[in-house]
Amino acid sequence: MKDLNKLIEEAQQSELKAVTRRHFLKDCVAGIGGIALGSLLASCGGWGTSGSKGNLDLNALNPLIPKSPHFPGKAKSVIYLHMAGAPSQLELFDYKPALQKLHNQPCPQSLLAGKKFAFIRGVPKMLGPQATFKQYGESGAWVSDHLPHFSQVVDDVSFLKAVHTDQFNHGPAQLFMHTGSARLGRPSIGSWVTYGLGSENSNLPGFVVLTSGGKTPDAGKSVWGSGFLPSVYQGVQCRSKGDPVLYIADPEGMDRDMKRNLIDAINNVNKTEYDTFKDPETLSRIAQYEMAYKMQVAVPEVMNINNEPAYIHELYGTEPGKESFANNCLLARKLVEQGVRFVQLFDWGWDSHGTNAADSIDLGFRNKCREIDRPMTALILDLKQRGLLEDTLVVWGGEFGRTPMQENRDNSDMPFLGRDHHTDAYTIWMAGGGIRNGISYGQTDDIGFAGVEGRASVHDVHATMLHLLGFDHEKFTYDFQGRPFRLTDVEGELIQAII
Amino acid sequence: MVLALLALIIACFTIFTFGKEETVDFSADVKPILNKHCIACHGGVKKNGGLSFLFENEAFAKAESGKPAIIRGDAEHSEFMKRLVSDDPELRMPYNAPKLNDDEIDILKKWIDQGAKWGKHWAYTLPDDVEVPKPFSLAGLFGIKPKGVNNNIDYFVQAKLKSKDLSFSDEADKSTLLRRLYLDLIGIPPTLDEISAFIEDDSDDAYSRRVDSLLASSKYGEKWASWWLDMARYADTKGYEKDGSRSIWSYRDWVIKALNKDMPYDEFTVEQLAGDLLPQPTKDQFIATAFHRNTMNNDEGGTDSEEFRMAAVLDRLNTSYQVWLSTTFECVQCHSHTYDPFKFEEYYKSLAFFNNTRDEDTQGDHPKLRFYTAQDEKRVDSIKHWLAVNGDGNAVKSADLFLHTLEPKIHAHYSDQIVNGALYDTKWLGVRSSGSARLKAIALDGKRQLFMNFWTDAVGGKMEVHLNKPNGPLLANIDLPKTSGRQVIQAAIAPTSGVHDLFLVFKNPAVAAGQPICMIEWFAFREDFPIGKPVENLNLQRTFLQLVNLQPESVPIMIENPKDMHRKTNVFIRGNRLSLGAEVQPMVPESLNEFPKGAPRNRMGFAQWIVSKENPLTARTLVNRVWAQLFGRGLVEPLGDMGTQSIPPIHRELLDYMALDLMNGKKWSMKKLVREIVLSGTYKQASTLNGDKAEKDPQNYYLARGPRFRLSAEQIRDQALAVSGLLSNKMYGPSVMPYQPDGVWMTVYSGESWVKSEGEDQYRRGIYTFLKRTSPYPSFVSFDASSREVCLVDRIRTNTPLQALATLNDPVYLEAAKHLGNIMLQEGKGNTKKSISAGYRRAMLKEADPRKIADLEALYKKALLEFNKAPASAAKYLGSDLAKENTKTISSKAAYMLVANALLNLDEFLTKS
Repeated sequence: MKDLNKLIEEAQQSELKAVTRRHFLKDCVAGIGGIALGSLLASCGGWGTSGSKGNLDLNALNPLIPKSPHFPGKAKSVIYLHMAGAPSQLELFDYKPALQKLHNQPCPQSLLAGKKFAFIRGVPKMLGPQATFKQYGESGAWVSDHLPHFSQVVDDVSFLKAVHTDQFNHGPAQLFMHTGSARLGRPSIGSWVTYGLGSENSNLPGFVVLTSGGKTPDAGKSVWGSGFLPSVYQGVQCRSKGDPVLYIADPEGMDRDMKRNLIDAINNVNKTEYDTFKDPETLSRIAQYEMAYKMQVAVPEVMNINNEPAYIHELYGTEPGKESFANNCLLARKLVEQGVRFVQLFDWGWDSHGTNAADSIDLGFRNKCREIDRPMTALILDLKQRGLLEDTLVVWGGEFGRTPMQENRDNSDMPFLGRDHHTDAYTIWMAGGGIRNGISYGQTDDIGFAGVEGRASVHDVHATMLHLLGFDHEKFTYDFQGRPFRLTDVEGELIQAII
Repeated sequence: MVLALLALIIACFTIFTFGKEETVDFSADVKPILNKHCIACHGGVKKNGGLSFLFENEAFAKAESGKPAIIRGDAEHSEFMKRLVSDDPELRMPYNAPKLNDDEIDILKKWIDQGAKWGKHWAYTLPDDVEVPKPFSLAGLFGIKPKGVNNNIDYFVQAKLKSKDLSFSDEADKSTLLRRLYLDLIGIPPTLDEISAFIEDDSDDAYSRRVDSLLASSKYGEKWASWWLDMARYADTKGYEKDGSRSIWSYRDWVIKALNKDMPYDEFTVEQLAGDLLPQPTKDQFIATAFHRNTMNNDEGGTDSEEFRMAAVLDRLNTSYQVWLSTTFECVQCHSHTYDPFKFEEYYKSLAFFNNTRDEDTQGDHPKLRFYTAQDEKRVDSIKHWLAVNGDGNAVKSADLFLHTLEPKIHAHYSDQIVNGALYDTKWLGVRSSGSARLKAIALDGKRQLFMNFWTDAVGGKMEVHLNKPNGPLLANIDLPKTSGRQVIQAAIAPTSGVHDLFLVFKNPAVAAGQPICMIEWFAFREDFPIGKPVENLNLQRTFLQLVNLQPESVPIMIENPKDMHRKTNVFIRGNRLSLGAEVQPMVPESLNEFPKGAPRNRMGFAQWIVSKENPLTARTLVNRVWAQLFGRGLVEPLGDMGTQSIPPIHRELLDYMALDLMNGKKWSMKKLVREIVLSGTYKQASTLNGDKAEKDPQNYYLARGPRFRLSAEQIRDQALAVSGLLSNKMYGPSVMPYQPDGVWMTVYSGESWVKSEGEDQYRRGIYTFLKRTSPYPSFVSFDASSREVCLVDRIRTNTPLQALATLNDPVYLEAAKHLGNIMLQEGKGNTKKSISAGYRRAMLKEADPRKIADLEALYKKALLEFNKAPASAAKYLGSDLAKENTKTISSKAAYMLVANALLNLDEFLTKS
């Protein structure tokens, strides 16, 4: 029997001959540099019969094989820290002394006219900043006392102070933030990026999702779904408890050698099957079983932080075995170091309405800030000291902002201080991966209600992220049901000031 | 002699056609060039220079220059042609893009010179008749068919094969063929007995008899339902943030039953789109309308119900066009279709058909059909009977509808001008003492009773109903009793005529100032019971209210708005629902078949238009998708788009032939359609990719071999359970929760959790697995099943390491392996080779290649050696108790389980070939 590599090579050679007929080439590859994905995706979409322009990659049996973008990107990988529930920009980065002066005064009608809020009814009162602010670093960025660690790295970061969205409910807004559409069915940005660039480490998923805060994001798993892209590009959730990836552990009583024997037997029988049917899918299956076997070792290894040195634990504030944002930040660094393309973190619990102590802006919010301050600072420092920051794009933000008014849910006074959902202005920061250092772009009005300068839409943020990765967002498309789709739909402009 | 003559005739004909200049065909030759190079700037979205090539009138109209771009019959003087060849880069089109090639320019020139005839794309017209391309043969005169030809389908395929110098493959061997047939028709493989009986059966109709018995099996509906449920976006939860459960499984059961009884596709369509509008709809016809209640429902606090009602209505429209017509209608929401002949306003005219149903994105998922017990149903009948005697037909109808659906009702979110109160969680009306709320423009003619669903902890509350203003005339002063949970109360209101605003004023001195007096979910204004015998009247009214207060099992359905609640539909400017354009009336797009004469302008009319034999897309769409289920790919690709953007199909004549025959000959029978395809020689071919054919047609577009592709998520699970003897045959009922790892469900707010089902419910077919939209069953997701949030017409088939991990390590597959291993142990009676052959046969349903047996035997031996050394590991792997069995048995069982695990992971097991 021929050995596996030879078989695979042979199959690829025969595919080379047939390459002009393979519909998936045009379909799945056009627009991203013309490198084929291999037989794995022989059914992805399925139109276009001729005129392919691909040169088949000989290692094509891995759909996550690294691919070149439109132009050399500055960022190679992405770590996206999403604060699910939407943290208040007014207590963190968007310092508004004028709002303090208006504290407790009724909100002027002019601000409310024509506006819709999730919970604010009637005339709410203004709520002054519930934090003290200072300027830090050479860039002089404003940061509140909630983030004492983070204030020390502001010169490595650029802020977008006037991001806006058009969705004021968590589910749709999170979908919009991650898929470019408030409706379900579109691929997430992590899927787009993995589809476009593949991944550097074939023993790990290309797109990993880590959650903390005890809940998955409001919009569910769709925020890391692959939409109409092949499911191989969807985010794989790695968990701190139980199997890090579902079904990754061998059953009890089975050791690695026995698993090796099992995989060998399966692949040997499959080779015989290939000899009969000559179906390239069979070869692809053989390759997938090999990858699965390697993944079983690689995933638990990378997900284990026990062996990190003490100073690293000290830096991040990590505690092995716990499900925490801190652990996830450290894992994100490890994953990126290992060549994972896109690491998506969700930290749940930022919805500070003021209906109880835990979700109040004066109490619970402070605690949440404490949970993220050290780890996210550590992430930047750690990436930097390893030389990874320059090609790792780190993004931090929520799905929308919070109102400068105090929430008056059901038109009544509330027991704790809180702010309602707000679409007109919020802050996102980015670092590394080609982002300029120490820029603060965009400005809101005196009370932080709306952007007055340098506004950036969600599509603009996406366009900029794709640009840093080497994609022209207008040309990075995927054909679905007869038309090319983009992450940025028909909008999006590069935010030049920060790149 | 005859052949020679024929050849001569053909030769002459060929010379003759090529002798004169070829006529350029708009759809085949011109339109693709326009779509590729011109329409992005001169089409449905942009009309640069005032010129568009989307519609005929636009293409020949005067452009901004004041002149038409194309002069029919005169290419030389047409600005269009001048621009294509101009040397000035500012003038030459396409702008900023490479020049068209000479062939393209030549085609366009000829087209204009030949009169620039516009044409319809093939997808938008249906031929009257398609001739079957039976080649003449003497043998044919004696009824002898050529090799590989079993029915008319094969003549079409054969003709195309010839054009590529290809020929049919041999028929698949009998066991492969029967396995293929079983997996395709009922979704699970045959048993070994069924295989051997088939192999031994030499009769002419051996195969067709099996086809017929499988089509008659109740498992047929279970298999084909998952195809339909992907399109219907059926799930067991409501979607979005909260994603709470939704009890809509009776719709899933309806689909299974409808498929099993072979409900004709036209009926199947009408019942799902408009079953509620049929005369005196049956319970099942109401359930069918749940098709469009599978839209998502947003229960997140702070959401605007109208926004998500509209999202659901848009989804229904887009889904209807997608499911029945393979049309990407959603493109037209914001602008005229870029490629297909659908105008922007036409989107909203179609939307108007769907915009008048009672559902309003309420947390209660109203309206729902209520399933009373037989006893309660009798009480309903007694009320109806009494009303029939003492009232009139309308009273019976109204009571029937209300008791079974609680419609028409007014939801709390309809209230406005709320003073000292709020819409709590943007769902429920809660007004504090002396506060008020308005119900706008209520039609009060004949309405004498107010029904209200509400709850409160306090005694002594009152709700006053005032006419026109908060201190207007008092129509009712209603006591609000303390309730335990939600309760419906009924109260008389003073007779009033006309349409009025009503103001509700709430009072209860016992309730603290900041607290609402009560919470209200809905109101209903209803006519009085007719004046009859007072005592009976009173008793029946009491029964009526008792029935209304029951909370029986129910399913969300469609109910049309009554006249006084009719919604207008407007164009949304640039697709934005908050920016309204002109009002529109329900109508279908001009470029498709005419709206049926005399059909009502509602969903019923729309459904009739869909199933009209004039509709060029309905039957083709069904044929194409059924074909794709069997062959892994449609005759037209992509499955979601049969229009100008689809690939010109190789087998269009076959598609048209089958579509026409489906409507006329087969009277829309889906089973007959499936039957014809699986009886064809084309279907029965072996699927081996041998050299020559694979090279000429690696993707098998020409069908010179049979289908071969990976099984679906559900099939893979069902098959593993079937061959290990675990599969339950139980049908219907609430969805079940088989084993799933802990911590997969971590949803916000809802307290719901995955509770593993008991007994045989763990081993039900995949179609019955509980599907939570934000967190679907993990191993199904790995195998490309849909999360059913939106309509899906074509599952992509991927091949990934996560799939390998699922079938290698998911406890479901390990349990199946354990059972299969035990069977192997028993059947071999101590002979390893025998055991392994038996296991292979049971899974693959054929004899194994000896090399495969050798590989598996080697695996067994290695495992046995290891397990003998470590019996504790063997016991753990098996999940059995070391103390209770002897070590040797345990090691052997564990080793067979491992081999069975391998069998369940083999490519040939996961693949239909």
